[in-house]
Amino acid sequence: MKKIYSLDHKKYLRKQLFNTVLIHFLRILLLVLLLGLWEYVAWSGLVDPFITSSPSRIFNTLVTLFSGGSIWSDIGITLYETMLAFVISTILGGFIAICLYMCLPLKRILEPYLVILNSLPKVALGPLIIIWFGVGTKAIVAMGILICIVITTISMLNGFCAVEEEKIMLLKSMGANKLQILFKLVLPASLPNFIAVLKINVGMAWVGVIMGEYLSSGAGLGYLLVYNGQVFNLDMVMTTIVILCVLAGIMYGLIAILEYCVNKKRNK
Amino acid sequence: MDKLLELDGISLTYHSKKSETLALNDLNISINSGEFVAIVGPSGCGKTTILSIICGLIKPTTGNVIVAGEKVTKPSPKVGYMFQRDNLFEWLTISKNTLLGLEIIKKKNPKTKAYVKELLEKYGLKEFSTHYPTELSGGMRQRVALIRTLASSPEILLLDEPFSALDYQTRLVVQDDISSIIKSEKKTAILVTHDISEAIAMSDRIMVLSSRPGKVKKIINLDFDKSLSPFERRKLPKFNEYFDLVWRELS
Repeated sequence: MKKIYSLDHKKYLRKQLFNTVLIHFLRILLLVLLLGLWEYVAWSGLVDPFITSSPSRIFNTLVTLFSGGSIWSDIGITLYETMLAFVISTILGGFIAICLYMCLPLKRILEPYLVILNSLPKVALGPLIIIWFGVGTKAIVAMGILICIVITTISMLNGFCAVEEEKIMLLKSMGANKLQILFKLVLPASLPNFIAVLKINVGMAWVGVIMGEYLSSGAGLGYLLVYNGQVFNLDMVMTTIVILCVLAGIMYGLIAILEYCVNKKRNK
Repeated sequence: MDKLLELDGISLTYHSKKSETLALNDLNISINSGEFVAIVGPSGCGKTTILSIICGLIKPTTGNVIVAGEKVTKPSPKVGYMFQRDNLFEWLTISKNTLLGLEIIKKKNPKTKAYVKELLEKYGLKEFSTHYPTELSGGMRQRVALIRTLASSPEILLLDEPFSALDYQTRLVVQDDISSIIKSEKKTAILVTHDISEAIAMSDRIMVLSSRPGKVKKIINLDFDKSLSPFERRKLPKFNEYFDLVWRELS
C-alpha cells in the first residue's frame, strides 16, 4: 500500500532527491570539464600532447589495445598477481594476528619488530626479493605480500584488542576458555574491522604488485608503465593508468558490496 | 534457612608498580538461599570486586568463598553475573544471545532450550526472539540480559549496578520487572549499587560497606511485606526512614 504523505513531507522528499541528482550531475560535470580542458590545451598546442597525451589519444590507444588483444594477457597477469598477494597476505596476516592475540606475551616481545617492519619502506627490500625469488611472478607476488602483510597483522590485532573488556568478562564469568572467547566474541566482533582491513589491502596489493613489476618483469600493467615511460610513449602510460584506475575501482566496489551484504545480514 | 553463600575472611590486595592497596579486609558475609541482599558503599570500596571474587574471576589474597557447600576456585554455572551494561552481542539474535551461556558450558539441548524459550515467553520477549539487540529498548535489553543469566539455572545471581545505564523512568520499571522475575524464579541475588533507594526498594537486607579497605560496617534488615513491588515500597513512610538510616551509615 502506498503511504500518503503530507505536502511538507513531499516537498522534503523532492528536495532530497534533487540534492542527490545534483551531486551526481556535478561529479560528472567535473570529469567532463577536466577532460574537455585537457583535450583543449593539447589540441590548441598550449601544451605538447607528446608529453601530456590527451583524452582522444587515450581513447584511440584503448581501442587499438583492446582490438589487438595482447592487453588482456597483461591485465590478466597483473590481476592474478594482485589477487594472489591480496589473498595470501590477508590469510597469513590474519593468522599471525590471531596467534599474537592468543599469546599476548609473544605480542609484547614482537611489538618493536612489527613497528620497525611497518615503518620500513618495503621497496628497499626489492633487490633481496629479486635475488631470493628470481625475476618474475614469484618476486612480484612476494613484493605485494610484503607490503600488505605487516599492516594487515597490525590492524587486525588492534581490532581484536579493541573488543570490549566487559564482554570478555561476561564470557569468562560464564566459564568460557580462551578459544571460546576467540570464536564466540573476538572474531565475530572484529568482522567490520576485517572488512576495513580488506579495503586497505586492495590498495596496498596494487601498490605492491605494480612496484614488483617495476622491479622485475616482462609483462603486466606495471611493466607496460615502465617500458612505455622509458620510450616516451606517454599515450600508453596514460592509457595503462586509466585501466588501472578502473580495475582498482572494481575491486574496491566488490568489497563495498561485501560490506553491504554483511551489514544487511547483521542488522536485518 | 540453608546457607547458600559464605565469604570467610576474604581480603584482597591489589598490586601495581607504584603501590599495593588493601582493597578488602577480612570480609565475612553469609547469605541464605532465597535472600535478596544489597551491598552499598562509597565508591571505590570494592563492591564490584566482591562480586568478581564470588564469581571466581578474581582470586582473593586470603579467605574462602563457599557456594552451596563447595569452594569457588573458578567461574561455575552455579553463579550468574549480570553487568552494568547488557553486553548483548549485536550480531546475534535475542534468542541466540540468551543461549550463549549454555553454549559455553556445552549444555545446549532440547530441554534447556525449551526452558529459555519459556523464560522469553513468560517475560514478554517471545515475539522479539528473532530480532537483533539494536531493535530493542534499553529496558528490554536488560531483561534479555537477565534471561541470558538465568538460562544456565544459576543458584546465585550477582547484579552489578544493572540499572545504572538506564534513564530514571525506565530504571523504575525495570527494577519492578527484574525483581518480580527473580522472585518468581526463586533465586538468591546479590545487588551491588550506589543508589540507596534502589537497595531499599529491591532487597531484604542491606550491607553497608566502609570505605577502603572495604569491611561490612552495618547490616540493615528491611521489614517489608513480601508481596510489595519495589515501586510500591517506595511509597511507604518506612522507605524514607530506611533511607535516612542508610544515608547516616554512609556519611
